[in-house]
Amino acid sequence: MSAAIWAITGVLFAAGLAMAVLRRQLLAMLLGVELMLAAVNVSLVHSAGLFSDAQAMAAVAIVIAVAAAEAVVGLSLILRALRTGRGVEAGAYTELRG
Amino acid sequence: MTLYAVVLAGAVAAGFSAVMLFSRSLYVSAVCLLVVLLQTGAIFLLRGAPLLGLLQVMVYAGAVMVLVVITIMATGGEPEAGFRRLADFSFPRWLAVLILACVAAEIGLTLVSGGVSTASAAPADPALGAAFSAALFKSYALATEAATLLMFLAALAILPDREGA
Repeated sequence: MSAAIWAITGVLFAAGLAMAVLRRQLLAMLLGVELMLAAVNVSLVHSAGLFSDAQAMAAVAIVIAVAAAEAVVGLSLILRALRTGRGVEAGAYTELRG
Repeated sequence: MTLYAVVLAGAVAAGFSAVMLFSRSLYVSAVCLLVVLLQTGAIFLLRGAPLLGLLQVMVYAGAVMVLVVITIMATGGEPEAGFRRLADFSFPRWLAVLILACVAAEIGLTLVSGGVSTASAAPADPALGAAFSAALFKSYALATEAATLLMFLAALAILPDREGA
């Protein structure tokens, strides 16, 4: 079972990381981050069940809440960025490039 | 039996995360992420954490994905170089059929194995559920309240500021 869970976690995390790195659209990058968070939650829940660790389960609940808040803030930032009229590509926003 | 159910849910999740990665349409990517999140919720259920599985479905698959689709709708605009219209809601038929087939296979496997509550769910430590809720609202109480407040403040970020009123 642990091997299956680690394989699932690895594949999902790699796909999320690839999405956050390879895609140029802001929203696609945010979806990639969400996928990575979900992958980590799977391994946390498995370990919590394996070692009967309630703290790990509480940590997963907190991660789900914080990830939802992060998604909401990210989406509102994307909407505001869209209002500047420069589109949804990450390359169009270079203010912080220095 | 639990192992087969976890492997099936994991395989479906891995497959749809690959489709999500390589799809050029944001809408298809969002729907594939929704399927992946539902599969991880199923894995939580199978690993003996039903509350977290339901939280995953409600918060992630429910609330966050609605906001994602609304944001995709807001990115309408003209087609950009090489991309179809960003708010392109066309959905490949084969993908819809594949999603339905996966869900049907999982429901079938669950029914064959005697329902989620019996054979297919790992016998979680009975005290773990009680210890989990105690941890969430005793030792983690401050973090729980902070996360709840964070979600509330984040929701306020959606409200547009009044420009030039």
